[in-house]
Amino acid sequence: MRTALLVFVGLALVAAPLSGQGRPLQVRGVRSLSFGLLLPGIPTSTARTDPALSGELEIRGERNLEVVVTFGLPSAMTGPGGAVLPLAFAANDAGYSGQQSIGSQTAFDPRLPFRAVLSRNGRGSIYLGGTALPGNGQRAGTYTAQITLTVAYTSP
Amino acid sequence: MISAARIPVFALALAAALPLPRPLAAQGVLVAPHAVFIDHQSRSGSILLYNPNTEPAEVTVSTTYGYPVTDSAGRMLLNVVDAPDSTAPSAAGWVQAFPRRVTVGPLERQTIRLLATPPAGLPDGEYWARLVIAARGGSVPVEGVPDSTAIQVGLTLEVRTVIALLYRKGAVETGVRLSNLRAAVSGDSLEVRGRLERRGNAAFVGSVWGTLVDAAGRSRAEFTAPLAVYYDLEPRFTAPVERLEPGRYWLRLRVAPEREDLSPKVLLPAPPVSDSVEVTVP
Repeated sequence: MRTALLVFVGLALVAAPLSGQGRPLQVRGVRSLSFGLLLPGIPTSTARTDPALSGELEIRGERNLEVVVTFGLPSAMTGPGGAVLPLAFAANDAGYSGQQSIGSQTAFDPRLPFRAVLSRNGRGSIYLGGTALPGNGQRAGTYTAQITLTVAYTSP
Repeated sequence: MISAARIPVFALALAAALPLPRPLAAQGVLVAPHAVFIDHQSRSGSILLYNPNTEPAEVTVSTTYGYPVTDSAGRMLLNVVDAPDSTAPSAAGWVQAFPRRVTVGPLERQTIRLLATPPAGLPDGEYWARLVIAARGGSVPVEGVPDSTAIQVGLTLEVRTVIALLYRKGAVETGVRLSNLRAAVSGDSLEVRGRLERRGNAAFVGSVWGTLVDAAGRSRAEFTAPLAVYYDLEPRFTAPVERLEPGRYWLRLRVAPEREDLSPKVLLPAPPVSDSVEVTVP
């Protein structure tokens, strides 16, 4: 049995064009970032190349479309009585693939803005890994946090 | 230290809460169009929001001032200026959205009106803002046993869509100057850099096309990209290239106010510019 800790959730984002204009921009969640079984006191990492546990976001739009993607990542999830379950994201924890291939990613730091250029067929995928750091005395209860994803269109 | 009895409770409870990774539930809203152009005659515009999800979405619309820039590596970034000085052509302070906060129900649409109230005596020109449409969906549904001892996890996601707003008053003109073009083939990639300087009093909106040709004039690599030059840019373009024989090649670059994704009515005319540079493959 595996435990999954959801780190980001689905979305569908479309900036559709004006009448007579090209394909709309869509950002869609494909798969949650998960960590498998979590045990107190044992840090658990998920690689962005993990096909089952890494998070995946799909972007669709005009071919060669360029957007700046910025994650707002929480440092912890908050639980009962203010208990926290820390999360960590490192410089190599995100990747982008214009071919939408998890095995062919360009790594980027999810803590920094990233310029994504869609492929000639107007698609691309973002992959996200990370580390969950449950403490030895991690309390039972519900843990929540928020991730912010900013997709900025830079032209115009 | 956690008690021995609580460790399995923690693990099992999490396992019960979310046993497997699952497909993501859509939580964003659709925003159209992806750029807003307002003229001084109408002083108004609108965007359309659509919530394709089964949960309501809380949406806030705000304005800020920003424009695309490039960093030292040629990567495009959005330079957001929270407090632009008086010389900045910012429309962020006098364009308002109505309503600014709204809950969009499942499968519902909501029109956001944009009203500009520019200061009196505003000189002719183009003024810029960024619309920030922040949408927050419902909490992630937490599954599992409704047990007070269970550990459950759930995250909310806020999606911020940032699109351009360009306000035009009176005579506006634009253009672009291309200089310092250079190109190199590195492995299986063509890398191109060039300096682009905007002319006139409005952002240059168009596209760039690049072609690498060999001595026989055959195209060996191509790329195209949308482009917006608000001030100066020095972007980096790349394109895949097949294995090239050693020799001399030429990179041809063209920049013109043409776009597939924007109506010609909103594109300002400007003379196309082009340049070329020799590329040596050792």
